[in-house]
Amino acid sequence: MNLAIFLLLIGFPLGASIACIFIGKRWLFQTTTIAGALFTAATAGYLTVQVFCKTSVSAQGGFFYADALSAFVIMIVAVSALVVAIYSVGYLDRQVADGKIDPKLLRLYFILLNLFLFTMLLVLVSNNLGIMWIGIEATTLATAFLVAFYDRESSLEAAWKYVIICSVGITLALFGIILTYYSALSVVHTTANALNWTALMSVAPKLDPSILKLAFVFILIGFGTKVGLAPMHTWKPDAYAEAPAPVTALMAAGLVNVALYALIRFTILVNKAVGTSFAPTLLMIFGLFSMGVALPFILVQKDVKRLLAYSSIEHVGIIAFALGLGTPLGYLGALLHMVNNAIVKLVMFLAVGNIRLAFNSKIIRRITGAIKVVPATATLFIVGMFAMTGWPPFGMFVSELTVATAGFSSGNVVPTILFLGIVAVVFVGFMWYVSEMVFGEPPATARAGEPSIVSIVVLSGLLLISIVLGTVMPGSLVDFFYKIVTVLKG
Amino acid sequence: MNDTLSIVLSAAFQICVVLLAAPFITGVIKKTKARMQNRKGAGLLQPYSDLVKLLKKEVILSSSASWIFRVTPYIVFTSMLVIALLIPTLAVPVPLHWIGDIITIVYLLALGRFFVALAGLDVASAFGGIGSSREMSISSIVEPAMMLAIVASAVTAGSTDLSVIVASLVTSPVTLVHPAHMLAFVGLFIVMLAETGRIPVDNPETHLELTMIHEAMILEYSGRYLAFIEWASQMKLFLFLALLSNMFFPVGIAASLQPGALIIGAAALIAKVVVLAVAVAVIESTNAKLRLFRVPELLMVAFILSLLALILYFIIGG
Amino acid sequence: MIDANNASRLIDICAATILVTAFLIVSSRSLMFYVRLFALQSLLLGIVALLVVVGYGESHILIAAVLTILVKGIAIPLVLNRIIKKIEVQKEIAPSINIPLSLLICGALVVVASSVAEPILTAQHQTTQTVSKVLPSSIAMMLIGLFIMMTRKKGVTQIIGLLTMENGLFLAGLSITYGMPLIVEVGIFFDIMVAAMILGVFVFRINQTFETINIDELRSLRH
Repeated sequence: MNLAIFLLLIGFPLGASIACIFIGKRWLFQTTTIAGALFTAATAGYLTVQVFCKTSVSAQGGFFYADALSAFVIMIVAVSALVVAIYSVGYLDRQVADGKIDPKLLRLYFILLNLFLFTMLLVLVSNNLGIMWIGIEATTLATAFLVAFYDRESSLEAAWKYVIICSVGITLALFGIILTYYSALSVVHTTANALNWTALMSVAPKLDPSILKLAFVFILIGFGTKVGLAPMHTWKPDAYAEAPAPVTALMAAGLVNVALYALIRFTILVNKAVGTSFAPTLLMIFGLFSMGVALPFILVQKDVKRLLAYSSIEHVGIIAFALGLGTPLGYLGALLHMVNNAIVKLVMFLAVGNIRLAFNSKIIRRITGAIKVVPATATLFIVGMFAMTGWPPFGMFVSELTVATAGFSSGNVVPTILFLGIVAVVFVGFMWYVSEMVFGEPPATARAGEPSIVSIVVLSGLLLISIVLGTVMPGSLVDFFYKIVTVLKG
Repeated sequence: MNDTLSIVLSAAFQICVVLLAAPFITGVIKKTKARMQNRKGAGLLQPYSDLVKLLKKEVILSSSASWIFRVTPYIVFTSMLVIALLIPTLAVPVPLHWIGDIITIVYLLALGRFFVALAGLDVASAFGGIGSSREMSISSIVEPAMMLAIVASAVTAGSTDLSVIVASLVTSPVTLVHPAHMLAFVGLFIVMLAETGRIPVDNPETHLELTMIHEAMILEYSGRYLAFIEWASQMKLFLFLALLSNMFFPVGIAASLQPGALIIGAAALIAKVVVLAVAVAVIESTNAKLRLFRVPELLMVAFILSLLALILYFIIGG
Repeated sequence: MIDANNASRLIDICAATILVTAFLIVSSRSLMFYVRLFALQSLLLGIVALLVVVGYGESHILIAAVLTILVKGIAIPLVLNRIIKKIEVQKEIAPSINIPLSLLICGALVVVASSVAEPILTAQHQTTQTVSKVLPSSIAMMLIGLFIMMTRKKGVTQIIGLLTMENGLFLAGLSITYGMPLIVEVGIFFDIMVAAMILGVFVFRINQTFETINIDELRSLRH
């Protein structure tokens, strides 16, 4: 029974991807994708309920595994994928109609999109660290052609940087995994188990601390590249800017959290094996550094998608910082921030997608008076901006407040002050951009009228969820978060 | 008494072998290159005839030549003879090993090179100056590489005395297939190509201004001076090849100073050196001479390979 | 057949030669030479894996060894050769750090690698003792591969740098753990292959749109 859940979870997107290879009619492969995403989301929901009842679910002799943390990230990814799938249909249709995309490539897009979802879920359901690695590298490969989709010079350049930098990072992470395997071999009795997270957790105190510390450094650098922590972040602005809007949205909401998931799993392991003074310190350093690096670039951006990419770097910095505090409150803040960041990034990138369709540009200077051209989207954009910079009543306010509280209460006063300072400056910077883009007179080439009503509905729904997370959290949800924090504590 | 006599006799024998065999090896190289170029080439014994011819010819001196110019050929020649006594060629116990070791050899080579460079400047001709400056800049990288390559093997044996090195290699042949040792061979081989002025570093048969290095320095020499210098270069080549073959393939080398063993040692040496000479000739024929500013790259490769040999020795252990 | 001692000796020699090929890649400017060196490197790597199988009885690496020889030793070099011929670029341009200095830095990287390897080796357990001498060389290869990628500008060279890193990684895995479980090794292999192919396609397309695969000139994206 458990096995079936896992197989269905990764089977739906894989099946949709394979099906799209053979389907020729546009409406059919679009529907297949949406259906696949829908079933995946449903299975993910079912899995979450199961995990909630039983603490953890595993199958196939420990090959598949899901606990509260996995279920959490799976839900984020599955829902994001569903939203993106629905949005993609309308967005790409418009792009084809405008002549920006070759209609023959449309099928490739959906094949790769489904494949992308499959690889992300593969990471999230496997207990085996090696398979986790394979999944993460596979996400890079699946998205390579998606980033290069528009086949322009700049897209190819961005895709090249993306694949090269991420592959280098991933290779370093693999070395870390080899070292972890090595340290486990002397302690775990069957070699097959030596890469299983659950098995490793049970023998964690017996693992060699110095090897594990070295391994963690490699893994942090390696998976941190995929997450987008500075200084390994250089691929992010280019890749996010050049990829089609829905792809960027899924990368910012899904892939980021998947990579964070892998990083968190190792952090838990290393914390249990060597104590909490090593890994969290490194995480805090990288987190603050990412925030600091993102700040100046946010303030001088010309391209709205690059702006959002740097915001993403800033937010993963916050998450890393929160994880680096090492306290349960810090973990809670990190988790809240993961889900809020996902929601807000979905809203922002998809709203930008609508704006782009209307204005045919993503350069900030050329986008003015959005409120007159696409009023609903512009409103969502403003509201989303408030959400992203941490205003109440949105969820991000709560998560950043939690992180700050955790920071002060755990005695890391100076870093927390730095954290708050950067958040404040970013807020001001964003306000300026929003007013530039939303108000004022629209250029003559802008096309009035919302590109897609469906997207407005969906994005509004997402913002509502963010409000819920920021104000009234139902009791079961709070319980769920506490379960995840328990996992994080080891 | 017997000991001293045998040492002296074996030393004399060794010098004779080196003196007489060196031109032959040069002949082998030239013949092989000619064959590879599809010509018949001069006879194998041609270098001997050349030397004899030069000894009989008149010496012409430049008006600005000083005593350095006249003394250099003898210094170079003698230093080669001394080196011949320091390298284990026929037998493991080098006759005069108490005079010096590897460092001495490197210094003797440097001495010869120094004087030839001075002689090139001494005649106040532009070609000499070109040759000297080029030679010096190349040697600044060659010498460290050479030292490292030999030191890598010395570390294995625990001494810089060449006879001790070769003796230890003979007794424990497993060291021969140690990766560090093999790397040291490649490094030393490249160094040999540079030191003896072979392609791809320097063309021994060119007299074009663009491509001369060694030839430029000795351009003004004639008659018996030229004979000695040529002979000394041939001996340098022979001794380097002998060093390579005995340090890395010490097959057939005599373990004692018995006459029978010495003769076998001589025969084995000539055979090994001929094989290496053919290899050098093949490399010369199949590669183009490097442009001058690329030579440091090649030599740096040799340096790094020797350095790697040393590092690997410490990592992998005996 | 071959016992552990002989196998260990042969592995040492192969590993040293593999490291030398990495250095030769740094020392050269010819793209075709890079590809040949990479092919040699991968073949030797496959032989090392085979030696581990034969000398130490770790049969689960057999498939990985064969894959290495077939894919990395033959198939990928052939593909790279085709790409080089099609884009008609033969030489790497002068690297940002000149070659003698690059070689010296790589020598220093070997020393760094041995110091990184030391804590790993001191904590080892008995069974893998004799192969682990290769670990410093393999870490050095990873570092040299990284160095190649950072200092060279042509796309093909960067692919070779990445593949050299992966080779070093595989060797490292062999040296301390006799390789990982089969599924993982095959999966890793597959990933690397696809990555190389994707990058090859990109090189091709970049050349077509750009007239150059000089990464330095891909500057249209700033900030």
